[in-house]
Amino acid sequence: MPPAGTRLDLLDPWEVAQLGGVEIAAAGVVEGFLAGLHRSPFRGFSVEFTEHRAYQPGDELRYLDWRILGRTDRPYVKQFEEETNLRAMVLVDVSRSMAWAGAPHRLTKRAYADRLAAALALLLLRQRDATGLVTFDEVVRQGVPPRVKGGQWARIVRALLDTPDGQGTAAAEALRQVTARLARRGLVILISDLLFDRDLALTALRYLRHRGHQIIVLHLMDPAEVELAGPPEVRYRDLESSGTVVVRPRELARTYRDTVHREIAAWRSACRRHDIGYHHVTTDQPFGLALRRLS
Amino acid sequence: MTFLHPLALLGLAAAAIPALLHLRQRRLPPVLDFPAVRYLQEAERRTARRLRLRHLLLLILRTLLVCAVVLAAARPQVAGWARAAAHEPTAAVIVLDNSLSSGVVVDGRRVLDRLTAAARAITARAGAGDRLWLLLADGVMRRGTSGDLDAAIAGARPEPSRLDLSDAVRRAVAVAAGGERPGRDVYVLSDEQASAIDGPLIAPGGVRVVALAPPAPAPANHGVGALRIVGGRLLVPLVGTPGGKAAAVTVTYRGRVVGRSLGAPGDTLAVTLPPAPVGWWTGDVEVDADELRADDRRVFALRVAPPARVVAGAGAGPFVVVALDVLRAAGRVAAGGDVTIGTLPAGPVAIVLPSADPAAVGAVNRALALRGARWRFGPPGTPGPVQARAAALAGVAGAQVTRRLELTGGDPAGVLATVNGGPWVVRDGATILIGSAFDTGWTALPRLPAFVPLVDELANSVAGGGTGVTYTVGDEGIAFRVAGGDTTGAVVRGPDFRESDLTPAPSAVLGRALGAEVVSASAFPSAVFAGAARGDAAGLLLALALLLAALEWVVALTTR
Repeated sequence: MPPAGTRLDLLDPWEVAQLGGVEIAAAGVVEGFLAGLHRSPFRGFSVEFTEHRAYQPGDELRYLDWRILGRTDRPYVKQFEEETNLRAMVLVDVSRSMAWAGAPHRLTKRAYADRLAAALALLLLRQRDATGLVTFDEVVRQGVPPRVKGGQWARIVRALLDTPDGQGTAAAEALRQVTARLARRGLVILISDLLFDRDLALTALRYLRHRGHQIIVLHLMDPAEVELAGPPEVRYRDLESSGTVVVRPRELARTYRDTVHREIAAWRSACRRHDIGYHHVTTDQPFGLALRRLS
Repeated sequence: MTFLHPLALLGLAAAAIPALLHLRQRRLPPVLDFPAVRYLQEAERRTARRLRLRHLLLLILRTLLVCAVVLAAARPQVAGWARAAAHEPTAAVIVLDNSLSSGVVVDGRRVLDRLTAAARAITARAGAGDRLWLLLADGVMRRGTSGDLDAAIAGARPEPSRLDLSDAVRRAVAVAAGGERPGRDVYVLSDEQASAIDGPLIAPGGVRVVALAPPAPAPANHGVGALRIVGGRLLVPLVGTPGGKAAAVTVTYRGRVVGRSLGAPGDTLAVTLPPAPVGWWTGDVEVDADELRADDRRVFALRVAPPARVVAGAGAGPFVVVALDVLRAAGRVAAGGDVTIGTLPAGPVAIVLPSADPAAVGAVNRALALRGARWRFGPPGTPGPVQARAAALAGVAGAQVTRRLELTGGDPAGVLATVNGGPWVVRDGATILIGSAFDTGWTALPRLPAFVPLVDELANSVAGGGTGVTYTVGDEGIAFRVAGGDTTGAVVRGPDFRESDLTPAPSAVLGRALGAEVVSASAFPSAVFAGAARGDAAGLLLALALLLAALEWVVALTTR
């Protein structure tokens, strides 16, 4: 148990996961994350004024009401209520390849994605954005339509927990199904290890983008997938296809690392070309850092 | 190649370890789940060729490394290694030609000294496992240690005799082949005279024959050949380098010079010896000094005997009677019955001619048997020219014989002349048989000028048992045979005249004839025991192993 006042968003994800289930971890992460912020991480399309309050140190000066200051010689700041016209959909890849961790004291990519998705949903819901969830492997496994009403986060968490580890990943097909569900434009956050055909997936993402959606891709990888290590010689078995390959990690490490970095660069380049946000996240990074990439 | 520790070679099986490990790793690697196999496949596709090459290179290097270490542990002894300090146990025969010609001085140094130096180089390189023999011109095959042979080599002096190099090498090859050693060498240290090469080509088989090339060019030489005294004349053949310049020849007889002349090799000088009283007399022939002194002088001995007392017996014929008259008038023979020439053996010494009556042959043969002679008259033989074997009969060589009886049953050593290869004049103790009567119906001899000298030789020389002088090869000198108070003969020793021609055989001819590799004096030391030379390659293999290990390390690091 971390000491009181510790920000969970900056702890090792494994330690955070030890504190409890997805809800507890996500809530703790969000609390810590918000405590470190001075403004809303996500802004809607417009805001509506609600009331004044006395200025307190730390408030942004742009919200200072200069008229009242001029008349009363007292500083007041304006308070606004954000509109709930942001529709966010979090897409979580639950394919077999996500259920893997490169070390015993490290979260699987799926576990990390679940907690990160729950935290994201909580953040969005707290600022009254309609938030939904889709889990998919080859097909869509669970779908929670975007809502802002109470209990939405619990439904999202429940959907995450109720989705078992899937099979192979055919992202293009799943994304096409998601597209059909997102009638109104909004924010789409894809959390996946992207171990599927890049061109097909990008085609689907481009279509979403064409439909006016703002897209953010969180490329989730285990550190062991970035830096190859292992016994002198090993037969690696693919989790989804069951195909195998015999390699000597020490011999292949450098070329493998180059290959992975080229793949990351290719994804980043392709996303930038299509105005899609792209972030590479490893499962040993604190959740707070992952969330900060989105702000 | 041999190994000091051959059992260590069993370790070569370890050379399979890298390959087995390689295969084992290939077959039984642990299986691990991994999601990003597609990246692995892509990475491996990019590096497959390089990795295959690396694996192959490392496998080869590691296998070679193990082999090099194992071979080094076995201590390989490499034969024929130029830098080798040792050699396999060898049976080595040194043929040291210390014949007369080895005494020649070339460039201020005696040839024999050069040959003995080469021989000592061989004994110095010999090891404890070697078996050594030394063959000198005396023909004795000496076996001994290096020290023994060194002593024999140091004591070698130019011999007056000749060394038949072909025969010597043939014997040496046989000894080396039976030497029961892995190495078999024969070293021929000679001035390689062409005249010393004789007989069929030698096939040394598994024996390595190394011949020291002669110094070139050989000096021109002249010497005195084998002397002969015929009819009171001394015949002096001059021998030496064919085509050599003439040299002055001096003949001394009974202590005074009796002749001087000039002669070149190939010439035969005739010097008439002055009359001398009955007895044994000596003299010498000397030519001008040259680089080979040992053949520049030769001595001779002469017996002046009283005229033989000869009588023409029954059936001797008119030609013999006339010839005896002539000789008697010249004082060459005297009247008496010591020697009888006729168709029946009679008197102390009988010269028996065949009878014209074939029916008398049997009686003659019985009479011969009664005298203890073993030769008999046989059936008629074929006609032909006379070929002389004895010097005393040299004057009748070529004379035609038209009729003769074969002579059979005696000791072939007694044959003095032949016709068509069959005995024509034989001596059997005090009996001399002649295959033809001295008549023109049998032979042309009575008509020839050589007839009277023939009768002279038969009466004085042949009937008297020859000149009583025997020539032999040896240190110059004369030894007289004495029986009671009489001198019965003399042995004249002198060098072998065949040694005087110093012309060496061409290297190609020499190599072919002896089955030898001919090496120069400068190359000779490195050729000694080179056939069985061996070097310990362990150091080299260890260095190779270090190099391979360094290469393996570099390849393993840089290609990772």
